[in-house]
Amino acid sequence: MAAKPGTASTTYSPVDPTHKTKPSIFTDSDWVRPDSRGFQQCRPAFFRTGAVNSASGSAYAEFGNTKVIVSVFGPRESKKAMMYSDVGRLNCNVSYTTFATHVRGQGSDNKEFSSMLHKALEGAIILESFPKTTVDVFALVLESGGSDLPVVISCASLALADAGIMMYDLVTSVSVSCLGKNLLIDPILEEESCQDGSLMIACMPSRYEVTQLTVTGELSAPNLSEAMQLCLDACAKLAQIMRSCLKEAASAAEE
Amino acid sequence: MGLPNASEDLSSEMEVDAFRRLFPLRYFERHLTESIRPDARPLRKARDTTIALGAVASADGSALAKIGSTTMLAAIKMEVMTPSLESPDEGCIAIDFHMPPICSPIVRPGRPAEVAPVLSKQLSDTITSSGMINLKELSLVSGKAAWMAYLDIYCLDADGALFDAALLSAVASFSHLQIPVVSLDYDGKIVIMSEEQKEENSETKPVNKEKRKLTLSTIPFSLTCILHKSYILADPTAEEESIMETLVTVVLDSSGQLVSLYKPGGSVLVYTSAVQDCVALTRQRVKELQNILDDAISGMEID
Repeated sequence: MAAKPGTASTTYSPVDPTHKTKPSIFTDSDWVRPDSRGFQQCRPAFFRTGAVNSASGSAYAEFGNTKVIVSVFGPRESKKAMMYSDVGRLNCNVSYTTFATHVRGQGSDNKEFSSMLHKALEGAIILESFPKTTVDVFALVLESGGSDLPVVISCASLALADAGIMMYDLVTSVSVSCLGKNLLIDPILEEESCQDGSLMIACMPSRYEVTQLTVTGELSAPNLSEAMQLCLDACAKLAQIMRSCLKEAASAAEE
Repeated sequence: MGLPNASEDLSSEMEVDAFRRLFPLRYFERHLTESIRPDARPLRKARDTTIALGAVASADGSALAKIGSTTMLAAIKMEVMTPSLESPDEGCIAIDFHMPPICSPIVRPGRPAEVAPVLSKQLSDTITSSGMINLKELSLVSGKAAWMAYLDIYCLDADGALFDAALLSAVASFSHLQIPVVSLDYDGKIVIMSEEQKEENSETKPVNKEKRKLTLSTIPFSLTCILHKSYILADPTAEEESIMETLVTVVLDSSGQLVSLYKPGGSVLVYTSAVQDCVALTRQRVKELQNILDDAISGMEID
């Protein structure tokens, strides 16, 4: 009864024909977001550390329908083929479940996100504190609901903190989508699919340092600086939520 | 370790944690003689088990099952296929078990765990042979269209008894499954009916108005036991599985009938009496699991 090779391509998921792909109201000035949030309002964020017991550290994050789990393993022995290194290595991997997206996917690794996650975290980790060894950061997107990468980055830094890996600061990440004249913070999937441009920032809020900044698509200069400020403010707030999550976990462990 | 009784002498001097790591088998056997396990469980007791239905909004049916810290997330996505000529009135189920690198330090990306495809096959065989699902219920238009149910089970945390947790999450996700209402459009394709279409009596008729839920006739549940010498340990953790190798997995359905029994090798040869004990333990466990599943389902109905 298991799927025979070749059968996968012959199935299709039924679509709703009345569903329009791009609502025209997005360009109007008085439209509301699908989840009736304000333009500059993030989704409620939920974090929990210690989601996976067999890992050195782990965290679960939920932003609306975006659900992510990150496990950290190590520091542990680097692969045999690796050359000697005075500083530790960071290894990142991001993958999606087959049911994460609306249409059933292959559940394969997302190479682009893996390398972006690596670059976003690299600068924040004190790699000198674990020479010759590797820290593995593995993320699994359980459900994709928009702004996946920023959620993965924030969740990963929380998992690293849970694993006791030395960092200069927590890394928090937020993205902004530009739709017409409007800037929308923490966009959901529908908003991302019809955006004109987007900006994503990963930063260390306490140090006010940016570890990663990506701009894609169309974004005018004044919009760009406004979007950056929006992101940085949201990142600082996110860091507070993550810090309180860590404190809660620590005080619960003491009892 | 060269001396036969080295660990015996050392155990009084060594710290507990060091003894556990150096002589795991001795450490466990000491517990077993006291009829207790290192996690303070009696030998034949399973860990706390919970089920949460509807964990994934993007799937048609989903469930999160936890046995101790072993965590499984199962989700079903329904797609449409053309049924085969031999069975024009039947749908199909495709079951896949995944162990992503997050679940265990042993699994690395690009190097999948060996047990994953084995469990995948076992789960698929068990669910098929238990007769839980009547494939005729997955038919839409005879000979033209039928449902293909893709069931994907992800292990989020691996701490022993993977098969039990995976099967539990699988059956729970089937009991949560809500099949979308669809109709046949002019091109002969199956499309989802929108809310407005359902209310007004348009010419498009749903093809599966009554068949929104599957009738699960009998539900299979399982219990894995470790056999070590004359001891039987129910629901082992990953640590126990790594030390004592003889595993027996018994699958019974809700009416108590034997669905399958696996004893994949191991150093202990099993006597019939031990197998009977395992079956008896599973019988008790099935009742527990049935209650947990019923509670989860009735909890959903109140919402």
